[in-house]
Amino acid sequence: MKIIFTLNGKKVEAETTAQMTLLELLRQNFKLTAAKEGCGKGECGACTVFLNGSPINSCLKLAATLNENDSITTVEGLEEDKLMQRIRQSFTDEGAVQCGFCIPGMTLATHHLLSKNPKPSLTDIKTALAGNICRCTGYRKIEAAVKNAADKGE
Amino acid sequence: MSNYEFFKPQTVKEASDLLKNDGYLALSGGTDMLVKIKNGFFKNLKAVVYIGGLPFKEIKKENDKVIIGSGCTMEEVATNPIIKENYPTLVEAANTVGATQIRHMATIGGNVGNSSPAGDSIPALYSLDAQVVITNGTSQRTVEIKDFFTGPGRNVLQAGELIEAFVLPFRKTTGRFMKLGERSALAISKINLAVSAWEDNKKHYRVALGSVAPTVLRSKKAEEILENAAHPLTEEAIQKASEAARETADPITDIRSTKAYRKQMAGVLLRKALEK
Repeated sequence: MKIIFTLNGKKVEAETTAQMTLLELLRQNFKLTAAKEGCGKGECGACTVFLNGSPINSCLKLAATLNENDSITTVEGLEEDKLMQRIRQSFTDEGAVQCGFCIPGMTLATHHLLSKNPKPSLTDIKTALAGNICRCTGYRKIEAAVKNAADKGE
Repeated sequence: MSNYEFFKPQTVKEASDLLKNDGYLALSGGTDMLVKIKNGFFKNLKAVVYIGGLPFKEIKKENDKVIIGSGCTMEEVATNPIIKENYPTLVEAANTVGATQIRHMATIGGNVGNSSPAGDSIPALYSLDAQVVITNGTSQRTVEIKDFFTGPGRNVLQAGELIEAFVLPFRKTTGRFMKLGERSALAISKINLAVSAWEDNKKHYRVALGSVAPTVLRSKKAEEILENAAHPLTEEAIQKASEAARETADPITDIRSTKAYRKQMAGVLLRKALEK
């Protein structure tokens, strides 16, 4: 079946099946490979994308459920975004990236946090990133990177 | 994944007619359903009926009631001004479901419709005397939340029926929701507990326990002890109420926890909720 939605600011059309998830659609049809499948059941956050500005697990969203007025944003769509540029720099500066698999999801969860709460406490940071798992277990540096990005926003 | 069909009805009637078919299942936020579909849990799945397009997304106050549309996400429930102002127990419960990403997808109607004994919004709804509005597109019926569930994963919904909304008596309550899981995010509760309280000419308490029986239970004995106690609550009243909660709990040992631990923790969680 055909679906129409907005992807990274552009109206797009795609052919999907009843079974295809949004994550599969993004990776296979649009070759947007930042969002990844870790667990496939909403526990690891590697597949995080924004749906109408809010983070969701794209592995649990059927592509067919998208409406014409839905807007999906992936990390690739935030290249020019000032907040995302700052977050990326902070992750680099703090050495928060090891294998990198979780990082697109981590940075999107961070973006969502800082856009709503520019001065988060450590608890706020941990809560906001609780849906993102890093199997290199680099959490300390990731938390430091989020703090760093928040501090640079002043 | 199996080879099911997909429908996106635009009206309640259309959705209801589709859901009368054998093997047609309603999908809302999808955070439970997609995992089950991927795991092949539904042996007879013929079609997914996406109900996210139905007009069940509003939270509003109407006279002496607050109506919560079944399609509201946990995030929408937790951040709604009417809910935040009057029902802190429900805010806490909605905020402990999954993690941020899940809370932006998972709906309160889905949590109740799924009817897990561990569903986190359910004890909160019990503690707020919620009613469930059920529709089939042509007529409605309303049941008390305690009468909605018939067992683990089972409820009174007939083929073609949908949860439209939850109705709460409008009152300013205080309360807490407590949960024990393997970690604070993304864990299915080993046990959860909701306490809500309000005052008119007397003090009212509701104590509801999840994951300790086939359906959520209210500890009426604990409620009675609290309602008849002097306020602020004394250590003795808290102790008695906690013992009553422990007696009410009738859990089993399963993959997540043991009978003995759950029973013990029913009392501990009530104590913690009352002390906060």
